[in-house]
Amino acid sequence: MPDEHPDSSCDDQKRTDAAVGALSRRRFMQTVGLSSAAALADRARAAAVADDTGAPPILGPGAVDIALHVNGATVKVKAEPATTLLEVLRMHLGLTGSKEICGRGACGGCSVLVDGKLVYSCMMLAVDAISAKITTIEGLAEGDALDPIQESFIRHDALQCGYCTPGFVMASTALLGENPRPSLDEIKAGLSGNSCRCGSHSNIFNAVLDASGQAPIHDGEGA
Amino acid sequence: MSMRDEHIPTVMPTTNRSANIGATLNDDTSRLEAIAKVTGAARFSRDVYLPNSLFVSFIRCPYGAAKLESIDTEAATAVQGVLDVQMSRKRGQYHGQPAGYLVADSPSAMWRGLRALNAQWKPQPVKTGITDEISGPPPVPPSVQSLLDEAENTLDTVYTTQVQTHASAETHGSVVDHHGDTAILYTSTQGTFAARDGMEEAFGIPLSAIEVRCEHVGGGFGSKLRAGKESLIAARVSAKYKRPVYLFVSRAEDHLDTGNRPSSRTYVNIGFNSDGTILGGRMQSYGGVGVGGNGGVHVPSGRYSLGELARDHTPVRFNGGAERPFRAPGAPQGAFVEELMLDEIAAITGVNPLDLRLARTTHDDFREMFTLGAEHIGWSSRAATGSQKGTIRRGFGIGSGSWERYPARAEAEVVINRDGSVEARTGTQDIGTGNRTVMAVVTADRLGIPLRNVSVRLGNSTLPIGPASGGSMTVHNVAPAMMQAADDAKNQLLALLADRLDAASQDLDIVSGEIRRGDETLMTWSQACVKAVGQPIVGRGNRTQGVARYGGAGHSRGVQFVELAVDVETGIVRVKRIVAIQVCGRVMCRKTAENQVMGAVTQGISYALFEDRILDHNLGSMVNPNLDMYKIIGTADIPHIEPIFYTKGQTGPRSLGEPPTIPTAGAIACAVYNAIGVPVRDLPITPDKILAALEGDAA
Repeated sequence: MPDEHPDSSCDDQKRTDAAVGALSRRRFMQTVGLSSAAALADRARAAAVADDTGAPPILGPGAVDIALHVNGATVKVKAEPATTLLEVLRMHLGLTGSKEICGRGACGGCSVLVDGKLVYSCMMLAVDAISAKITTIEGLAEGDALDPIQESFIRHDALQCGYCTPGFVMASTALLGENPRPSLDEIKAGLSGNSCRCGSHSNIFNAVLDASGQAPIHDGEGA
Repeated sequence: MSMRDEHIPTVMPTTNRSANIGATLNDDTSRLEAIAKVTGAARFSRDVYLPNSLFVSFIRCPYGAAKLESIDTEAATAVQGVLDVQMSRKRGQYHGQPAGYLVADSPSAMWRGLRALNAQWKPQPVKTGITDEISGPPPVPPSVQSLLDEAENTLDTVYTTQVQTHASAETHGSVVDHHGDTAILYTSTQGTFAARDGMEEAFGIPLSAIEVRCEHVGGGFGSKLRAGKESLIAARVSAKYKRPVYLFVSRAEDHLDTGNRPSSRTYVNIGFNSDGTILGGRMQSYGGVGVGGNGGVHVPSGRYSLGELARDHTPVRFNGGAERPFRAPGAPQGAFVEELMLDEIAAITGVNPLDLRLARTTHDDFREMFTLGAEHIGWSSRAATGSQKGTIRRGFGIGSGSWERYPARAEAEVVINRDGSVEARTGTQDIGTGNRTVMAVVTADRLGIPLRNVSVRLGNSTLPIGPASGGSMTVHNVAPAMMQAADDAKNQLLALLADRLDAASQDLDIVSGEIRRGDETLMTWSQACVKAVGQPIVGRGNRTQGVARYGGAGHSRGVQFVELAVDVETGIVRVKRIVAIQVCGRVMCRKTAENQVMGAVTQGISYALFEDRILDHNLGSMVNPNLDMYKIIGTADIPHIEPIFYTKGQTGPRSLGEPPTIPTAGAIACAVYNAIGVPVRDLPITPDKILAALEGDAA
């Protein structure tokens, strides 16, 4: 019977298993080290508060310790204060799912959730995210269980090259968080901060409609 | 069954686009790498950060033409973390032309170093487009003039198109990991094998020692077909410092210096009679290629009989980044000229544009698709061109496209392991077309086993050779090779099994994952593999034999019907619906094929209405080199798109990547004309041009 066969799906899927959820958390804990959240918070405060005059803290210009809460884990990096959240995620934490496409807040490829709000991580300094809860595309799935919006993107082939996809998935997540049953026009408005060059938009709309329990656009029905 | 299988079955039903269900080899399979792409696990070349990496940036000319008067390389190399500055030229001929590069040990040191250079460039006089060189066409030759004189009507006009940049989501670049005797080139490429061509000198090692990896590619529309200067410099620096090098260009650099669809200017003099018969005339086109290229315009396309046409094309150089192939090079430009010209002839003669096309088309496929498309879009509700009076005016338009089936060398391997797992191998890349998924589909189909047993390895130069993703060559060349490889592996397995079972191998077959002899089920696929496979079985195939065996030939053809609305007070165009009918041979995988068509149409709308590389006429600098200013179609602009495959029982695959982007811009231009009653002969059709056209018409 086919079900008896060992799972031998494509390499990507194996890598997906390895990279999503618990394993990826373990990996970047190994990379950057992990202390208790409280100890890190103390250290972040120590790094940030330069004096006790009440003036805004002065950071840098050299690298400073930055503790971040990313995908449920607390991690510590050493980076210049001018470093964007995107660069810290990609280069320091190995979370390369967030992409730089435009580098200046015009395409949404670097979208993450910061305290539940959709943020272009290329437009936010890592130090400004110190006390926030950050969710990246790598943190959306619960272990092996993908988020319904991820499943819906797969089902509707809501991607081609896949480079803008993490940003669209995060923006869709934020949209559905605010509006659980968006109309097609609301989906178009909600995702208007994201750019897709391959032209997979129509399937992305269907993925969001389906994930919110609504029928996808059918043949012959105007959008 | 793993957890993942429970959550993400490979085969899932879909509810929409019923027109194509059953017409394809595979209706329900989702893209194999989709899981990796929706979880962020897919590792693109730009995601490869290796320990101890160096970061390299080009130093570029900021104007269309300029002389480098001073540059402080010492100040730059004095910046902490900057290792080297190399200058190669002191004059620039286009904005973004590399004049040198800087090497640093971190991105921030790289940016500080670039600022410290304090380069002073003195702008020189520039030419920024075709009209800086060409004031008009040469006189019509006497033979053409006599033909025009015979005609009852003539149309003498000019159609122009803009420069469009590829703007792939992943910018151009490479990571080079040089190990001394060997090296790995991670690169964002459309051609796994082309990506290292000519690179041996820069690497300082033979080509055989350079492995190209491009498992995921963040888009490619023609600009990533060859080894680029990014790889060249990255390789040199990596060889010199014995450290990994990361060189990906910024979005602005990508707009400036990685190719574009060239602008065009096509002068048309055509004669026709009042019944719509076209006698012929002259088409003189110019391609605005920047500093290099040919910039063709595909007219006449051969899709319509246009009489006797004198045809000439001349590339025009100016101070802009060189063109590169862009998804069906020359074809959308040509289709725009041809379709809008036909609609102008239709309006002058009073012939319905659909009837004119049915009368002038050269192939039955088009005639049938025109009829089908007209039904789908509701052509009968179209108002006569220029007859509408309200603020919002509805327009209908027709476009067409055709593309050859270019042969290319392709080989493939299918490996069957003892545990029943199967690996399909091709070195070709998947730039988002669905190549990986198609290869799994055809392998599983030929072996007679469920798709989930098949994994695909691709995007690596150590795997069997295949074509670049250009000219729409991948699937129809690689699939026949893969099918033959799968059949070869299957035959080897059945021969081994026949030995064990004391049966004749020609009596055995594999159906739905079971080994059968006649109606009798002997065992499962996995039992058969355990019984018969020792060393892995390797089946091999190549394109030439595969095509001979599995068939498939001919052009890809397509027609598109557009319905849109124009607000004549604001000039804004809203595309409502596009029906895209495509003959592309046997469709291997419905979902990825439909996505190709919808993506091509979407890019076509973007080309027709929005995209425009704008050079400053005085300085020659691009004024809109990022996505906030270079306008690409966004979510709010997307119409309802209906891809329909016109399969007609074909057995072999043809090209699909490029063909469906050819008709779109022409169809939109025709629909705008139908709505407002004045042709806009200049792409992109922006609101200002619509208002100017209406004003000119009223005056």
